[in-house]
Amino acid sequence: MIRDIGTIVWKEWREFRDQLFKLKRGGLSALVVVFMLGIVTPLQLGKSWISSPLMLAYWPILAGSMVSTLIADAIAGERERHTLETLLATRLPDSAILIGKVVAAVIYGYVFAFMNILVGWLVLNIRHHQDGLILMPLAHAGTLTLLIGLNCLFLSGIGVFVSLRASTVRQAQQAFGVIMLVLFFAPALVVQALPAGRRLELMLRLRAIGVDTVVLWVIIGLAIAALAVNMAALARFRRGRLVLD
Amino acid sequence: MSEVAIRSIDVVRDFGTVRALDHLSFEIPKGIVFGFLGPNGAGKTTAIRMLLGLVQPTSGRAEVLGRDSWSEGSAVRERSGALLEHAGLYERLSAEQNLDFFGRAWRIPRHQRRERTRALLEQFGLWERRKDLVGTWSRGMKQKLAVARTVLHRPSLVFLDEPTAGLDPVASASLREDLAALSTHEGTTIFLTTHNLAEAERLCTLVGVIRKGRLVALGSPTELRRDRSNDVRLVVTANPALLESLGPALGVRAVRRDDRAWMLSLEPGVSPAPIVRWLVERGAEIEECTRMSASLEDVFLDLVSDDREDG
Repeated sequence: MIRDIGTIVWKEWREFRDQLFKLKRGGLSALVVVFMLGIVTPLQLGKSWISSPLMLAYWPILAGSMVSTLIADAIAGERERHTLETLLATRLPDSAILIGKVVAAVIYGYVFAFMNILVGWLVLNIRHHQDGLILMPLAHAGTLTLLIGLNCLFLSGIGVFVSLRASTVRQAQQAFGVIMLVLFFAPALVVQALPAGRRLELMLRLRAIGVDTVVLWVIIGLAIAALAVNMAALARFRRGRLVLD
Repeated sequence: MSEVAIRSIDVVRDFGTVRALDHLSFEIPKGIVFGFLGPNGAGKTTAIRMLLGLVQPTSGRAEVLGRDSWSEGSAVRERSGALLEHAGLYERLSAEQNLDFFGRAWRIPRHQRRERTRALLEQFGLWERRKDLVGTWSRGMKQKLAVARTVLHRPSLVFLDEPTAGLDPVASASLREDLAALSTHEGTTIFLTTHNLAEAERLCTLVGVIRKGRLVALGSPTELRRDRSNDVRLVVTANPALLESLGPALGVRAVRRDDRAWMLSLEPGVSPAPIVRWLVERGAEIEECTRMSASLEDVFLDLVSDDREDG
């Protein structure tokens, strides 16, 4: 099973990597993203960039949004390019195909985030070289790694559902984009819509709870959601159904 | 008695109100090339999907290589290769990467994978272009690569859905030779669908004709031609009315004028000798009497004639 998952991950990455290094659409936009997130942002925010609690939300959300590109392509893309049925006619188990695609997407999210963080860290250390070596606190790095992984896993699971129902990549990306907007902007809009008094009360309550506790809740919530959505995707991803879809 | 590669037992598959497979029953011995013929929408692709365990029969069952096609689908796919309606190649990967991926999928060890990839790419004349992205290739080249991918893991059974579609005549002939060799030398059973009836006639040991999901004929091309062929060509000097008077009493189904000859369609099993004698006794001068041999295409068109009338 592990080997079969590895085979799918290998294929997904080959396809993606070869596209990326062609420096056409995908490659060029990746360079723009690295420039903005890995160079401009750390220079603007200064030393707080490396350890700010805000980064615990910033990187998982960005990595998750990048995952959408790959996961929307995962099944809808195979269907659009007429490779899905051939893939299903191989000996690879349903679960290995699905997990392989999700793992490839999560690795992509990690590579995207860590590449930008690494560039940002280098830029920050060059900019503030007189202050000695600036490092990310270990607990912060661990939490960040966990949050990026869980968010990518959660969004990959949702992406699988979207991709299963979409007949083209474009359709899948559009649907996924709407879901992302609802997931990440709706809570902010709800808070904005609250009366000033209620908003203040909420802020005070969160402050009383403390950042660490809030982060822990988010980790637990994301882990449960990621597990649930991926288990449901596994149950939905069946050859017989996919061929008829 | 030869072993059976595929056994379909009264398989029915419905899609809503449409019956795609209608009590499909047949047996295919191991190591032969089986041609599955039928007009578009007859149920060929559904049959392949069902045999590969990708579609569940509504009723009935099929055994493929001794395994139930649905409940043991993974075991069936483990020992099968399939070239379906589309080539199914990853166009953003090179030919070598495509074969490498499918070799990994079938768990072929790295060393063997490389050797087999090289052998197949050379055999199909694709070795020089192995590093190119498949998306940049012609349709014929992709089709050859898809066939190479299908036999990469040396499967016991190969499903090929119109493998020569899009190939030029030279490439088609070459592929036919390769398929014949695969069946003869490696004992691979080949399940082939094609619209090219001459190809089926040349390549297939056994042919099945499907129409509206129902198997309407099964036999060797020779058997099918023999069963369906009972036409006689007469070059005769006689009153046309005499020939037109030939009818069911003498076992004649139809009479038609064909240039300077007359074509008689006889009922199955009817010999032309009594008819010739009957004509001579009534003053006809027979110059030539030839028993016509139907091609597989004639047989096919005859079998699916209702579809043509429907259309």
